[in-house]
Amino acid sequence: MLVVLKAKLKDILNTLAEEYKVLVPAKIEDTSKFISYKDNVDIILDENVKLSPKDVFFPQTEKMYKMKTVKTSMELENITDEAGKKLLFGVRSCDMKSLDCFDQVFLTKGYIDEFYKNKRDSVVTIALSCSQPMQTCFCSAMGVDSQKAVGADVQAYDLGDKIGLEAISDEGSKVIELIKGQLTEEGAEVPQPGEFYLKVDADGVSEKLNGMFESPIWDDVSKKCLNCGACTYVCPTCHCFDISQEVRGENVTKYRCWDSCMFGEYTQMAGGHNPRPTKKERVRNRFMHKLNYFPDRYNMLLCTGCGRCINVCPVNLDITSVIKQIKEAE
Amino acid sequence: MCENCSCGNDHNHDHDHDQNVLIPQRGKIINIVEETSDTKTFSISTIDDKKPFDPQPGQLGMLSLGNVGEAIFSVTNKGENHIEMAIKAVGELTNALHEVEVGQEVGIRGAYGNGFPLDFCKGKDLLFIGGGIGLAPVRSLIMHCIRNRDDYGKLTVIYGARSKADLCFKEDLFENWPKVPNMDVFVTIDREEEGWDGHVGFVPSYVEELALKPQVTVVCGPPIMIKFTLPGLQKMGYADTDIITTLEMRMKCGVGKCGRCNIGSKYVCLDGPVFTLAEMKDLPQEY
Repeated sequence: MLVVLKAKLKDILNTLAEEYKVLVPAKIEDTSKFISYKDNVDIILDENVKLSPKDVFFPQTEKMYKMKTVKTSMELENITDEAGKKLLFGVRSCDMKSLDCFDQVFLTKGYIDEFYKNKRDSVVTIALSCSQPMQTCFCSAMGVDSQKAVGADVQAYDLGDKIGLEAISDEGSKVIELIKGQLTEEGAEVPQPGEFYLKVDADGVSEKLNGMFESPIWDDVSKKCLNCGACTYVCPTCHCFDISQEVRGENVTKYRCWDSCMFGEYTQMAGGHNPRPTKKERVRNRFMHKLNYFPDRYNMLLCTGCGRCINVCPVNLDITSVIKQIKEAE
Repeated sequence: MCENCSCGNDHNHDHDHDQNVLIPQRGKIINIVEETSDTKTFSISTIDDKKPFDPQPGQLGMLSLGNVGEAIFSVTNKGENHIEMAIKAVGELTNALHEVEVGQEVGIRGAYGNGFPLDFCKGKDLLFIGGGIGLAPVRSLIMHCIRNRDDYGKLTVIYGARSKADLCFKEDLFENWPKVPNMDVFVTIDREEEGWDGHVGFVPSYVEELALKPQVTVVCGPPIMIKFTLPGLQKMGYADTDIITTLEMRMKCGVGKCGRCNIGSKYVCLDGPVFTLAEMKDLPQEY
């Protein structure tokens, strides 16, 4: 396996930065997320970032097009995406799996979301294996291999004081080619992941939910939820969006932004009817969507076990407990 | 499978894969008909006088006013160079639309959704049941059947509204449709009023009163009307697979991405808005 000392990682990133706009997992403003690589950024390799890289592909707010409205006329003007290849370094298996979910939503079922596709096509990914799960990690329970990510261009392995690199795609081979001179060949093995603190058996949960729409557990599960939406914002697979506009006189900018099924407005219709009027229906929809509706539609779970929702929930609503409750329900 | 492309959709639909589906075309309103005090039918063309898209009966379109917003409506009819949408003033966008005049430019994109099952309806007698603005989606199918009169059997319309003034598509109901060969139109209003010598009573009871033989039936109207009409139809021996309706949910994208119009694992914008009663029974009761 081709390896590099962690201490020399920045040399590699500097080389890659000549070719790509490189994004790395880093500490910033008391949180952590993927940011543009610079020599002085505080790269995190020992745990996953608090905010997933979903905004690279699906920005929190994204301008879609512009309009000029003068009296009765309405002219449309396209907005072009920023050009250039990006390279995402250090994406964990859970977050790579979430891109697989995004691809299903944005690229299949008859319509391609061009805003997403343009970004997706311009990003090369270097996935990074996890040596030690965090307190809230449960990816393996959701069928995610923490040592080998799906859809990565390059798979990197955490080998203690070194990082191993393996090209997966053609694009990945090009990346390795660029930094080959800075890597050495060593007989390293794919490492074994550490033990998970959080254990849940999710086998059969999708099927079990088939008959549970009217189950009394939803009253119980939703009881403490505040409908704050924090879980949906940090979730790497949550992809719902709103479309709105900013009006400045004659100039209108149409944009889309992250929305949340936790909010009442989300399904509120103009005539006054709301099919999900209380938090019970909204919480039920969130868990049903992740564990039953999405598997039914796209044949995969809409949860990658990253644990971020557990980490941020102000009332400790824990998806692994909900899964246990579903499995134990009569 | 969609025959127009290799997109993998389970029905034909007409979209250009090079076009960003979320960006509308520049269109304009070329005619406005005042149906009732709160409902108007808008005819919409592209800026260069073309039909914005070619919708199948029952399909949907996204209409926007630049500085107000965008919403989805059922297309109620189409012409050579335009599409029609009947819109009730109920919210911010629809109220603003009611203020505009012919010539107003709008954003328009579509067509979305599955539409009515035309092949299934072909050769059969069809019963259309509508209440209030609920006739809007059904009208697209009725107009299609009239344009292709020989392909369908007897056509029957049962339509009701609160009062005479609330009846939509009056010209169709009283002038055009009764003249169509082998087509019956039954109209009712909720309460007696001066100058009305037609039927009085709610749609569900009128349907039971008329006791038409079981046939393929399209029911659209306010949820309360549908709720009381369906048991009557079932009692009269109508099959669940022969009862067709349209569902509505809030939508933003119209193409199955933005998330909010799901009922269970179905997206109303893609898999609907047309469902049979048999299909609806497989959905969670959340609409």
